[in-house]
Formats: sequence, structure tokens, C-alpha cells
Amino acid sequence: MTWSNFVWFALPAVALWLAAGSVVYSKQRFGAILSNVLMLCGIAIFAAFIVGFWIHLERPPMRTMGETRLWYSLFLSSVGYLSFRRWRYPWILSFSAVMAVVFVFINLLKPEIHSKSLMPALQSIWFIPHVTSYILSYAMLGAATIGALILLFRRSDDRQIFAFIDNMVYVGYGFLMLGLLMGALWAKEAWGHYWSWDPKETWAFISAAAYAAYIHLRLHSGSKAKGNQVALWLSVVAFALLMFTWLGVASLPSAGGSVHVY
Amino acid sequence: MSTSKQRSVWQSPWGYAESIAIVVGVAIIGVVLQLSMGSFDFFILANPVNKITGLVLFLLSITVGLVAPRSNFCSWLSGVAMSVSLIVALLLLTIIMGLTPQVGEGADSSMALGFDTMTRNWSFVLLYCLTLISLGGVVVRRMRRFRVKDFPFMMQHIGLWLFLVASGLGYADMERYIMYVVEGETQWRVYDGDGNVKELPIAIHLKDFDMEVYPPRLAVVDRLSGMVQPEGAPQYFQLGADEPQGEISGWKISTEEYIHKAVRAADSTYREVPMPGSTPAVKITASRGEEQLQGWVCGGNQVQNYMAMAIDQEFSIVMTPADPREYTSEVEVYTQRGDAVEATIRVNHPLSIGAWNIYQYGYDNSAGSLSNYSSFELVYDPWLQPIYGGIILMMIGAVCMIAFGRNTKQGGV
Repeated sequence: MTWSNFVWFALPAVALWLAAGSVVYSKQRFGAILSNVLMLCGIAIFAAFIVGFWIHLERPPMRTMGETRLWYSLFLSSVGYLSFRRWRYPWILSFSAVMAVVFVFINLLKPEIHSKSLMPALQSIWFIPHVTSYILSYAMLGAATIGALILLFRRSDDRQIFAFIDNMVYVGYGFLMLGLLMGALWAKEAWGHYWSWDPKETWAFISAAAYAAYIHLRLHSGSKAKGNQVALWLSVVAFALLMFTWLGVASLPSAGGSVHVY
Repeated sequence: MSTSKQRSVWQSPWGYAESIAIVVGVAIIGVVLQLSMGSFDFFILANPVNKITGLVLFLLSITVGLVAPRSNFCSWLSGVAMSVSLIVALLLLTIIMGLTPQVGEGADSSMALGFDTMTRNWSFVLLYCLTLISLGGVVVRRMRRFRVKDFPFMMQHIGLWLFLVASGLGYADMERYIMYVVEGETQWRVYDGDGNVKELPIAIHLKDFDMEVYPPRLAVVDRLSGMVQPEGAPQYFQLGADEPQGEISGWKISTEEYIHKAVRAADSTYREVPMPGSTPAVKITASRGEEQLQGWVCGGNQVQNYMAMAIDQEFSIVMTPADPREYTSEVEVYTQRGDAVEATIRVNHPLSIGAWNIYQYGYDNSAGSLSNYSSFELVYDPWLQPIYGGIILMMIGAVCMIAFGRNTKQGGV
């Protein structure tokens, strides 16, 4: 399984996810079952590619940006599906499917250089948990952001949706912190210091702080509409900062000497 | 906390308006200090000043936490509004930091406001201290009426307090050096960040340095400019992959024979000889339309010449330098007490001796696996234990967040 086979897995998965995201709005029982089946088939096909690609590379496909985007699509579709099962909002399923599809198309249209080699600094037991924990948190916080945008655009104050956002942020923040702390332990082993304010580390701090601010702001703003609006906007800004940490830092002038650019 | 009655600013109990005002005030004091004194000098915190400072911060936290139930001021200082204001203030400062290229640790700031040395910026340092007092205060306050459901809170906040105190204050005690050791020799002299030589109470004897490489890649280059073709969107063919065929710059490449550890024979072919000085070599067939060429390509090293395959007047197929897979140093380390430890040091596998960690740092890049020396980074950090303690507590706290989500009733804490 190589990168050139990707399209034969990506397009069927995209079709299945988009179909699931549309059928889920059906009022009939058959539609509900069908959307479950379609979504799971899409996830299975996409996961099959990642497994095959991993075996082909003889290393975890987590080094390049394109490879991390693979995981993002997989996790986003899975998290979207599981939260749909738990919270019963069809929009969670369709929006996370659309977001997963966007990242599939980025990989199809702008594949980056993918070589087999894995430099010694990346050969560590921390590599897989560090990267998967982060990408999983991106997926969950992405789902929370979808919820926040729904509330902001509907101008509603639906408590159920707010509870969904809060839970997603808590769980996503847990994974975000695990990813960050495992990164610190790894950095001590590989680079000699657990925290060096490398540009990627600085931005990881920024995105974690933004979500910490959201969590603290929500502690006392439960019943106040004004505080809720501020919190919703803060969660959207926090997600923008998080995506910048993942995708944008390498393009900064301050990232010149970053050890996190692969 | 909140009351339904309208309350004017600075009227007790304080809330967001006062928190924001105080945080902005502290930041402005920081700007004034920055403009008048320049960046904060971290190294005045060197032992024992940092231990005393840590103790003072600890006592202040305890005081705030114990007095809080009876004092509006202390309960505000360790309250939610203050914590949100502090987090947002640190967030804004670190965003400035993230957008401004930072100068190295030894260098002075070239900006009046010190944005290029943010961790030594007075506003940052003052807000960091205020955060520690507020954070420590809320931990103590909650500890007084501890309930089991506070466990995740305690893990997250005690862990963060420990980590922030030990990383910030401990920084002044950290020492980092580079040591170069020639194969077969013993070394105890090191270089610090400014290139000064120093003798350490630790010596390293390098028994052997070894390096493994990945199969390299092939590329078509312009013989005059050396540019990989097509220019602007260079293409490479990865050797050693499952696919023996590929295409670069319009030429179909098929691998006939790949030898990872090859030595050139007298007739300009290659054969496998696993010895120091061997190099990857490959026999390929390159074709474009009717044209077909066959030959050996090799990247060479210090003792073997490279071999390129000319495909026309302008272009050749060449092998790229191989990426390192692993480099290891077999060492024996001696301490002043007379201990001798044998170890293999490689990237991601440092050697710990007391408060010292010894890392594989580098080698002679131009010689690759033939390098006759290995370099090590020696890091001394006596504050590592509280750091690891803080990290572990925060990890437990993070696992709790994942396991329980936001498991409280609407609006409750």
C-alpha cells in the first residue's frame, strides 16, 4: 500500500461519509440504520489504508503533515460518529464528515514529500502516543467547535448543546494535555530539555492556555447569556489557535530554527 | 459569587472588572521595569535565591488559601475571575512571543519592550509570579474542604504549580555543555553555550562510534548547477522500497541490484562488503522512450568516489546522501567518586548519572559513519524531580478529564 493507492481508498470513504452525513437527516428508521452502516464502512475503508500504509512504510505514518492529516480524517470521522451515537445530533455526524473530507482532499490535491526514513530523534516509544493523542484532541475540539458555531449562528442558548461542547472540550483538553506532557517527557529524552520554547512549543502553550481560559470561564457563566456568548467565541478562537499550532507554525518567520519541522 | 444587585467597580466582592484592571496594571508595571532596567536576569535566581523565592511563593500561596474564606481580597485573588484574567494575559503575551522571532538565551533583547526575549520580559515574569500565588492559593483553599470529587482538580493544579515553580526557578541552576570525544580517547573538557572551555567532574571514554543509514534516493541533476530536476518541484526515487520501478524527471528507473554496504571493484562494478567505508550503491536501468541506459550509481563517502550516470549532455542521475537511521556511541563514563559506568548512548536513549544526563549530540557530518569522533550534550538539572512529579500529576489529571468529561451539574463547580 503506497501513497499512490490512496485515491482508491479516499474517494470511496469520502462518498460513504458524505452519504452518511446526508442520510442521517432522514426521519425513517431505515435511514438511521443506513447512515450508521455507511459511516462505519467509510471509517473501515479509510482505516484499512492507514494500516496498509503503515506496514508498507515500516514505521508509523505520523511524520509528515500529510500523514498526520490522514489520522485527523480518521479520528474526526470516528469521534463524530461516536458523539452522534451518544448525543443524537445529526449535525455532529454531517459536519465532522465534511471536515474529515476536507482533510482528505487536502491530501489528495497537495500531497507532500513522503519518504520512508524516520530520523533518529523520532524513533521513540513516545512518538505514537504523542502524535495520536494530539490528533485525537484536534478531532474532539473540532467537534466542540462545530457545536459552538451552531449555537452562535442560531443565536440559541441550548443547554444540551452547551453540555455537549463542554464535555467535548474537557475530553479534548485531556488528550491535548496528555499529548503535550508526553511531548515534554520525550523532549527531555531526545533534546535534553523538557521545554525549550521552540515555536511549536510556544504555540502548544498558547492553544492549551486558550482552552484553559474557556474551561475556567465556563465555571461560573452557566446561567448568564453574556458570559455564554463570550465563552462560545473564545472556544472558536481557541480552535483557530489550535489549528494554527498544527498547520501554520512552520510558515512563521519565528519558526526559522524550530526542531518541530519535518 | 455573583450577586443579582448592580455592583460598581472596586466595590467588594471583586469580580472580572477588578481582575482585568489589576492584571493590566501588573503588566504596565512590567513595561515600566522593562523600559527602565532592561530584561529580567534569570541568573540572579541561581541557588540559593531560587529556593528562597520558591519558599516565599509557597508561603504566600498558603496564606492566600488559608485567609481566603475570611478575606474578600484573598478569595478574589484565588478566584475564577482572576484565573481567567491571568490565563488570558499570559495567552496574549505568548501570542506576541509566538509571532516575534526570539533571540537566544545569552543574547540581549534588541526591542525596547523585550518582546524578542519574552520569557525574560518583566511583564511576563510578574504575571507568572502572580499566577503562582493565585494558583497555589486556590489549591490550599480547596484542600481545606477536600472532597473526593476534587481529586482531578488537585492533580491538575498541584501538578501545574510544581511544574511552573520548578521549571521557572530551576532554570537558573541548569547547566548544558557539549563534549567532543575522539574514538579511543577519554575527555572531560566541555564547551558551554558561549564556546568557553570548562572541566567537568565527569569523563567519557569513547570506545566505538557506529552509524546506520537508510537506503538513499536517486535524482536527476543538472551537472552544471547541481539543481535537482524538475527545478522547483524536484522528484526523487526512493531506493530499498518495495517498488523497484519509478519515474523521475521523465526517466523510468528500474532497480536491478541494490547493495546497502558496497565497495567498488576494479572493474567499476560494486559488490557487498560489510566493512567501515562501505557505501550504498545501486545498478539501475534508466529509460526514456527509445533510449535505454544501464549502470551503477553510488553516492560515495570519504574513502570511495561517487559514481553518477550521465543521461545526456546536461543531466546525470545521482544518489542523494543517505539519511542516518541510528548512530550510537559505546562509552565508559567515569565520575569523580571513582564510579565507572559502561553504556551505549544513542538519540532518545541518554545516560543518567545523578543529576547529569548525557545525550548523543552529533558526529562529523562530512564523514558520516566514518566519523572518528562523537559529541555529547551533558545536562545538569537538579530540579528534575519536582518537574517529573508535576508532569505525572498533570497526566493523572488529564486522564481524569478524559474519563469523566464535565461531570457536574449546569453552572456548578
